[in-house]
Amino acid sequence: MAVIKVDKLAVSVAKGPSLMTGAYPNKPWDEVPAVFKPGNYAYPTKADKLEYLNSQQGVSFPNAREWSPEDDDWKLPENWKEIILQGLADRLDRFRSLKIFMDCCVRCGACADKCHFFLGTGDPKNMPVLRAELLRSVYRNDFTLAGKILGKLAGGREMTVGVLKEWFMYAYQCTECRRCSVFCPYGIDTAEITMMLRELLHLVGIGINWAMEPVANSNRTGNHMGLTPQAFKGNVDFLCDDVENLTGVRVNPTFNRKGAEVLFITPSADVFAEPGIFTCMGYLLLFEAIGLDYTWSTYASEGGNFGLFTSNEMMKKLNGKMYAEAKRLGVKWILGGECGHMWRVIHQYMDTMNGPTDFLEVPKSPITGTVFDNAKSTKMVHISEFTADLIKNGKIKFDKSRNAHVLPTFHDSCNPARAMGLLDEPRYILDHVVDKWYEMPENTIRERTFCCGSGTALNTDEIMELRMRSGLPRANAVKYVHEKHGVNTLSCVCAIDRATLSTLMSYWVPEVEVAGLSELVGNALVIEGEQRQDLTEGLRTLV
Amino acid sequence: MNTYSELAEILAAKQKQILDIWTERTLGTYSAPGFFKKSLDPFANPVGVQIRSGLAALFELLRDQAEPAAFVGPLDQVIRIRAVQDFTASQAVVPFLELKWVVKEVLAQELQRRLLADQLNEFECAVERMALVGFDLYCQCREQLYRNRIQELKSGRARFTDGGCPSRFLDAAARQEQMENMRK
Repeated sequence: MAVIKVDKLAVSVAKGPSLMTGAYPNKPWDEVPAVFKPGNYAYPTKADKLEYLNSQQGVSFPNAREWSPEDDDWKLPENWKEIILQGLADRLDRFRSLKIFMDCCVRCGACADKCHFFLGTGDPKNMPVLRAELLRSVYRNDFTLAGKILGKLAGGREMTVGVLKEWFMYAYQCTECRRCSVFCPYGIDTAEITMMLRELLHLVGIGINWAMEPVANSNRTGNHMGLTPQAFKGNVDFLCDDVENLTGVRVNPTFNRKGAEVLFITPSADVFAEPGIFTCMGYLLLFEAIGLDYTWSTYASEGGNFGLFTSNEMMKKLNGKMYAEAKRLGVKWILGGECGHMWRVIHQYMDTMNGPTDFLEVPKSPITGTVFDNAKSTKMVHISEFTADLIKNGKIKFDKSRNAHVLPTFHDSCNPARAMGLLDEPRYILDHVVDKWYEMPENTIRERTFCCGSGTALNTDEIMELRMRSGLPRANAVKYVHEKHGVNTLSCVCAIDRATLSTLMSYWVPEVEVAGLSELVGNALVIEGEQRQDLTEGLRTLV
Repeated sequence: MNTYSELAEILAAKQKQILDIWTERTLGTYSAPGFFKKSLDPFANPVGVQIRSGLAALFELLRDQAEPAAFVGPLDQVIRIRAVQDFTASQAVVPFLELKWVVKEVLAQELQRRLLADQLNEFECAVERMALVGFDLYCQCREQLYRNRIQELKSGRARFTDGGCPSRFLDAAARQEQMENMRK
């Protein structure tokens, strides 16, 4: 009998009729156009939001209009190509990193299979190297001698509307999580290439509403949700009532109080949406337990900075507000809550954008006396660093049995892990607040953690399928520890994670809930004078 | 139930070959499948490994003529992934039916025997039954996606846009818009 070859049959040289034809690409990647259809793109920015932003000082967001990615005509300005190429020239001149990243890739492929979008889709343009090639090919064509002379032979590609559409497709299929960068032998930060692509697209009015409306809201009222100062305070007050009902402890946080020692800034989702509000209740209890002299701000009422996903100038402006508010209130330093990308902005961009922060002091814990030298420059300490230090110095007491309903694992959020190196503090805290917890497999945690799949303003419902498939590598590791150890909680330190992982789990591992680390701290915290009810689900218990 | 026992023996003997081709063709439905086929690390390559092991489990259940309920787990393992990828419904479930083709190609010689040809009908019916359960699961996955959307809206997690916040009503324009919407 003839030996049947796997590869021979696989390319459909079959005798009998088959229902399947396979999807082997029969064209080079640069000849496969981006096709937009419902479900594979996020809605474009609403015209009124873009108009508003374009009217603001220090930023530029032109070409506000109604348009759809599904239309052939994207209503671009007549000289769109000139704008894009000039924009690229400006950026190559301003950002040396971009120039280096454009030049130094040797296409070794180390990044290719590290991206959660590629791993979830099998789409070659989701390989970080090829995603970057979408920009690099235009760079070669117009900015290198070889490209100018040899064009396509030198890997160059002319900037066309088709290329622009491809940029939009794939710049918004990257969460700037930087996992690929960990594996790049040259240290190319592909996230910064995505950032540049998004910036260039904004020059001709191409962006997504889920990024731009929060940006507009933050610029207007100080937070993504567009909460006014009164509403922001009102929401925190509601949580204080909940805390009192649950624990018998009345917490009385202050707002916009001049002369407080510490300004506390956290993502606004913590005061508004489940499960973030339980994390917020954890913060409130912790600060009460140690008698911290702190204030909230109703203006710097957002840790998140969607400017990072938008443009350099927008990021700078939104970040600047936090420091302006710290200066106005005369605090000594800033304590930051469980946020992801806020920490990337703080650690990687703040200093050169808005520094030096010489009006603040090097953070020193008023409870333990620990000086946070690591935050000497930014003057901003992460809540997990702060909490871990309290634990290490024996300043807070826990009753682990109050977390008996929880068997967690820990998800390293991309930005705290890869952009600030916050790896051990959360684990140290977990060791002290729960009896037992389990790590996910080692190639899915710490620096190599997998993204939730919905960061960089991609957590919108119109691209639910895309989010579920890009979140698969994360969910797959959670499923493993759920099945092996009975893990029922995915703990994390990021507001976007808390929101998006909840949805991700309900699709892939519905038995697992998502909790902020400070929620677990709040659950277990023993406070003098408390009268806790029997809280079978911790701070989530309905009483 | 022992409807295709002779065929089952041959299926067992040719298991590796059938599975290799079935997996190869299924992973071949992705546009850049090289890594999915190559890497056997379940955490580095969830799509490839989950589909590979799901198909293997399904084949063994068919070979052993297992009860329909036993198929749900491995079917879900495969279809939950394909239900959120860039496939139509038929493209998502077609790998299950493709097994019929693979078996006929691999067993072309053996199937010339009358007895086995009869048993093949039974086997194919079992494969189709499996594919239909796969289609039910596909629909459940899609429904779950819609429920996720609703849940996000209800929980307030998604309220970055479209005025979820009460304070928006302080904005005269938003109030006006709200009134007009209510009138509609």
